[in-house]
This record gives sequence, structure tokens and C-alpha cells, in this order.
Amino acid sequence: MRNAPHLPGLRGHAFAARSSYRQPARLVTREGGEDLWVDMQNDERAVLASAYLSDLVIDPPLGSAPRKVTFPDGAVFETTDHAAIEALTGQTRGSLLHHYEGFNSRLFGVVALCLAAAWVLWRYGLDIMAAAAIAVTPPAVIEQIDVGTMQTMDFTMAAPSKLTDTQKRDVEKVYRRLVNALPDDVRRTHSFELLFRDVPGMGPNAFALPGGTMLMTDAFVKDFPDTDVMAGVLGHEIGHVVEQHGLKRIYRSLSMYVLIAFLAGDVGPILEDVVLEGNVLLSLSFSRAQETEADEFGLKLSKASGFDPAGLKRFFKELDGRFGDSEPPQWKSTHPSSAARVEAIDAYIDGL
Amino acid sequence: MSESLPADAKPFEFTGNAKEWFGIWIVNLLLSIVTLGIYSAWAKVRTKKYFHNHTYVEGRNFDYHATGKQILIGRLIVIAAVVVFQIITAILPALGLILLIGLLFAYPWLIVRSMIFNARMTSFSNVRFGFVGTVGQAFMTFLVYPLLMALTLYTTFPIWDRAMKRFSIDNHKLGQAKFKMDAALGPFYKAFLVAIAWIIVTGLIGVLLTGFNFAEFAYAMESMDNDPGQGAAIVGLFYLLFFIAFLPAAFIYQAMTRNVVYNNTTLEGGHRFASNVTAPQLLWLAVTNMIVVVFTLFLMLPWAQVRMSRYLASHTGFIPGGSMDDFVTQQQEAGGAIGDAYTDLEGIDVGLPI
Repeated sequence: MRNAPHLPGLRGHAFAARSSYRQPARLVTREGGEDLWVDMQNDERAVLASAYLSDLVIDPPLGSAPRKVTFPDGAVFETTDHAAIEALTGQTRGSLLHHYEGFNSRLFGVVALCLAAAWVLWRYGLDIMAAAAIAVTPPAVIEQIDVGTMQTMDFTMAAPSKLTDTQKRDVEKVYRRLVNALPDDVRRTHSFELLFRDVPGMGPNAFALPGGTMLMTDAFVKDFPDTDVMAGVLGHEIGHVVEQHGLKRIYRSLSMYVLIAFLAGDVGPILEDVVLEGNVLLSLSFSRAQETEADEFGLKLSKASGFDPAGLKRFFKELDGRFGDSEPPQWKSTHPSSAARVEAIDAYIDGL
Repeated sequence: MSESLPADAKPFEFTGNAKEWFGIWIVNLLLSIVTLGIYSAWAKVRTKKYFHNHTYVEGRNFDYHATGKQILIGRLIVIAAVVVFQIITAILPALGLILLIGLLFAYPWLIVRSMIFNARMTSFSNVRFGFVGTVGQAFMTFLVYPLLMALTLYTTFPIWDRAMKRFSIDNHKLGQAKFKMDAALGPFYKAFLVAIAWIIVTGLIGVLLTGFNFAEFAYAMESMDNDPGQGAAIVGLFYLLFFIAFLPAAFIYQAMTRNVVYNNTTLEGGHRFASNVTAPQLLWLAVTNMIVVVFTLFLMLPWAQVRMSRYLASHTGFIPGGSMDDFVTQQQEAGGAIGDAYTDLEGIDVGLPI
């Protein structure tokens, strides 16, 4: 550069269109009617390309990276003289963004905003996205999820129920009393079908599928014939259906996965694992919150339909007695520990 | 182990700096979050452009030309496909299984699309890269080879690894000039054996020094459910040993093969490449980066990225075999960004190994 002749204009380098041929060049401007006429000249003053300023493609600024100007015929001018090119082009697309990206104390605010926005997104944004997705999911699709899940279960782990019709009818009676206590509009939106299966691998259990299908294992009916306990557990599961917990969880984890994959970008192999692990732990706490919500819904429903809300508590106490030693610590689990739930239920019943 | 680059090699140079990149990165992040991820498409472009623009060889830099809109459209299509796929699997598990097999065959196609798109959107010294790999080659490289590798109990891992690198490098072009990697298999196996030796030696020393006992460990894992506190110490020890044995092994392999790959790669026109990274330096950078980033709640991530880029660039050389002015872009359709969105989602790296 030292020997370059002192010529007027904005200095940089020129590339011919689609070629790596590179030579020192400068941009020289002159009045061209309403617009500014721009010539790209090499050091021998030969004109390499020219166009009106408004016909040039000017890449938005990005940090201290060289600025690029592309002529209509594909010739490119590249320069590191940021001040001069800004003087030539004035404010371009991306100038404002570039301004806010500058390293100064304002970025502390951006960091704080980022953390706040990430929290709001996690706390509310994902729920809103999930709610929007649920709203556009046709009810037929949701019912089909139930059908598909039941087919898979029957194929892999469940056998037909060995309960007698009387036993089934007793449970059905409890279940209908609970469902009838629901508001009309809620009752109409879900099927609330009750199915019985013999699932040896699951022990005493009852659970609801997203579309409203309720499944109870034979072991549950045999181990917990007490109608108050049944009402408590079924009420809890109806809570999951009415609050659409299953769907929310599906959509939430899907959005979260996509967001992390696209947001995190190049965080590096080790860090990506850290973020994903963190997300799993966080979503566990989310699912614990759902359990608590369903507990409260079930307690209210039991009471409203004339059962003793303490039934649910008895169920967890019994579970605690049986499995209390082998329960994983709460932060690792999708469900709050039984002991913690009994306490929470007591507190909630007092408030009912 | 720290050999210097050949005398005639011009080192790559990374001129980005952590402060500047931090500003761009944090604004990217904020805008991506408040737009529920939509801006992440433009953020990706800015990120790639920043790192490409600041990587120089012989005073000429790289550039990235995709637009945020292209990336966004690709991503929306892939997300829609994932949602439909999820719904179908939930509703009709049998059909889902068939689709999964279909995806197995779509996978090589998506990878090739992604590599074409990325190559076409990348330029060096105003000349675009190109990619000429076929779906058939990708099918062999990404599905058949891994299957054979599993059947041979992973002893053929170096063969697969070399096949992948060959697929990527030999199919890339700068303008009309072809890249070619001509590396013998020996050095890949050497790197593999050194890595395995590291795992065995450190593993044995670790077990001898700490009195780690597999039977005890297995017992602790089994009784984990009953009493998580009791087994914690031995499980922690297991992870520590795992960390000391496996992580450095991965970096040893990576460093040794990177050097082999670069030192045996040529670009039509008599140009050659060189690399002299070392495993201890690479490992030191990766581990210290990770510690700093985690303890600053990710705020130092831009610093860590710049630090790694700077190290890799300064340990990579270009040996020109003639004028750099003679490359000319070859016309090739870039296609859409669907493949690119897919490889982003799956975290597959298809970029140029700059």
C-alpha cells in the first residue's frame, strides 16, 4: 500500500464478477442528475464498473468486517474504510442493528433483557405456543392419539382385564359421579371413556390419555377398593385431561427442542449437552407443577361430587408405605414425592 | 509434538475479537428470544458471516451469502414436517414406523442438499464453493459404513472416519478447482490406537490409584433407587475417570487426524494445506473454555468461540502453488435451505472444515 499513488476517492479492492482476481481500486463519485454516479477505478484510472448509487447492493455493516459493495454486473468492491463508506452511503439497511451491537455499557441492559426474556419465554411463552398449537389441533386428531396409544399398549404390555362386571360397574359408578360434577361445556369436549386392562408391569395405577380416555389397571381395583381413594385418583386424572396436560407437555417439549436446536447454534459439543440436560431437569419441574395442579383439581372435584377428599391422601400414604424407601429424590422425578404430596394435600383440604 | 507449519505455508488468520462478537451475539440472542425463535434464522446468517469475514488467507477472506429469509423458510418447512411426523406416529404407530424407514432413505438426500446449500452460500475471495457429492455416496458413507462398523465392533471406525472426510473434501470445489484428500489409512489407525491406549492406560492407573471397583460400582448403580446418597461417591468417581480417560482420547484422535487430513489435502492448481494442532493444546482450550463458559453463565461463550477460532486458524496453513487470482465461480443451483435446516436441527456439522 505504501507505494500506491495518492489518488482521490474511497480506497479498497476490486473483484471482477465471479472471479478471485483482486486489485487495488477506489470508488469515485460524481453528480449524475438526481442520483450519485459511482465509478470503480483501478490505480491506472481504468473504470472497472460503474452504476448509480441506488443500484448498488451494499452489504449491511457487521462489526469490523470489511464492507462490500456489489455493482449490477457482479463486480465487487471491498473496503475496510468504514467511515468513508458510511459517508458515501449514509444510513443503510442494518445500520441501526449495527449500532445496538456495538460493545458498550448498554449491552449490560441487553444481557439483563435477555435473561428476563428467556425466563418469560420459558414461563409463559412456551405455554402460549403450546396453547396456540392445541387450539389448531383438530379434536379428531387428539382422539386418534388415544386410539393409537391404546393399540400400542394392547400390543406391547396390556392384557384384557380379569375383573368381574360388578367390580367394573362399581368403579364406573364412581367415575360417572365425578364426570357429572364437571361443568357441561367441559364434559362435552372430551370422551371420558373408562377402560380396564391387566398391566402387570405397572402395579396399581390409573392414568388419562390426552383425548380423555381413562385407563385403570386391575391391580388398582384390587388394592384400592375404597371409593374415596378411587374418586381421589380418578379426579386427579380427570384434572390432567381437563387442563390438557398431556398435550401441553408434548407441544412444550417439541417447541423447546426446536428452540434449543436453532437458538443454541454453535455452542460446542459439550455445552449443547449441558443445555439439553438442563432443559430435561427444568421440564421435570414443569411436570411436577402439573401433578400439583391435577391434585388440587381432583380434590375439588371429589368434594363437589360428595366424596371424602382425604381419599387421595390415603392413596399416597399407602404408596409411601410401600415404595417410600425406593423413591428417587424430588428434583429428579416427574412426580413430587408422596410424602410431600400428602403434606400439600392436607394444606389444600384445609383451605377448601 | 508441536511442529511448526512448513516454511512456505501462509497461516490462516482469524481477526475477529471477543468484545465485538459479544455485542453481535447477545443482540442475536435477545432478538431470537423475543421473536420466539424466528430471528434465529437471521442470527445464523450474522454468525456465519462474522466468522467467515474474519477468516483470512493471504489477505483474502471468506464470506457467507445466505439470507435470513432463505434459512427461515427452510426451517419452517422442516418444523412442519417434524410436527406432521410426530402426529402421525402418535395416531398411527404402524404408519409412523414406515415413515421412519422412509426418513432413513431421506437422510442421505438431506445431507447432500445441506452440503450443496452451504457450499454455494460460502465464498472465498469472491468465488463460490460448490459441492458435487451424490445421494448414493452419502447413502454409503452415512448408512452402510456405520452399519459395517457396528458389525465389526467399531474396530473399523478409522475407515468410516476417513470415508466421511473423503466424501466431504473430495466433493467440494472452490470455483472450478477441486479439493482432493489423499491420506493413507495408516495414520487414522495410529490416531485411533493412541486414543485407545490413552483410555486403557489412564483407566488402569485411575483404577489402581483410587481403588475403584466395578463390582462396587454396579452395586451402587443398582441400589441407586433406595439410597442415592450412599452410591454418590463411587458414581462421581466413575464420571471423573470417564472424563479423564475419554475426553482427552477424543481430542488426541481429533488433533492427529486433523493434521493428517490437512497435510494431505490439495486444491487443483497446485495449492496445498497444512495443519499442526496438538492434542494437549486442543484439550486445554476446550476444557478451559468449558469451565469459563459454565461459570460465567454462558456470557463468556463469544470469548471462547473467538479463542478457539483463533487457535485453529493460526495452526492451519495454505501453501499456494500459483496465483490466487485464477479461481472462477462455477454455476450451480444452490437449491432451498431444507437440508440446511434439517442438519441444524439434528446438530450435524456439514460446513467446510475451515
